[in-house]
Amino acid sequence: MESHFLIMCLFSGLVGTFFATLTRDTLREGARAGALLALTMVGVSLIIAYVMYFLPLGG
Amino acid sequence: MTESPRIDPMRVAIGCVLAWAVPGAGHFYLGRRVKGLLFLGIILATFVVGLAFNGRVYLANPEQPLSYLATFANVALGPLDMIGRQVSYDRLIYFFPRESDRTLYQDILDKTRARILSVTHEYGTTFVLTAGLMNILLILDAFDLGIGRKT
Repeated sequence: MESHFLIMCLFSGLVGTFFATLTRDTLREGARAGALLALTMVGVSLIIAYVMYFLPLGG
Repeated sequence: MTESPRIDPMRVAIGCVLAWAVPGAGHFYLGRRVKGLLFLGIILATFVVGLAFNGRVYLANPEQPLSYLATFANVALGPLDMIGRQVSYDRLIYFFPRESDRTLYQDILDKTRARILSVTHEYGTTFVLTAGLMNILLILDAFDLGIGRKT
């Protein structure tokens, strides 16, 4: 798998699941917290990537 | 006046050591069996995916002080870290070899370069590093469970 986006989604999913399991005790709360965390990570990454698109590459 | 529950130091120590040796085992030992199994699955998946993406574990290098922190995070994975070192460098090595040791130095450089050439190398290394960092949190969480700070 060489898709940067899919790798980022996989990473966000694993980390989101980890923190949801660590900080929540019920499945319902955990699923909500994990999904929110994973989606936030993906969303913020996309926003940062979009902003960086306009930055000069140096030189 | 309520009495605080007695803390069994041996139980706490065993929980923490188990948490280091096998991700999730500390929680399993302390009675959080489902969480323990989930943690094992998540950390194992993160670590295996990291190595599959041609990630590598870090070697402590006096010329790069931050490499000590990264190596510490890797070592927090317990025996899994040894597997990572074997996969990355074909040997159990924790320090970047000195240049005077030509054979070992060249061998480690070659093995590192071979992995760096992979497109997914940086991602893989981040996955492996994150697995170690997550296990540090698990060890601390197992400690909190053991002393009753977390129920």
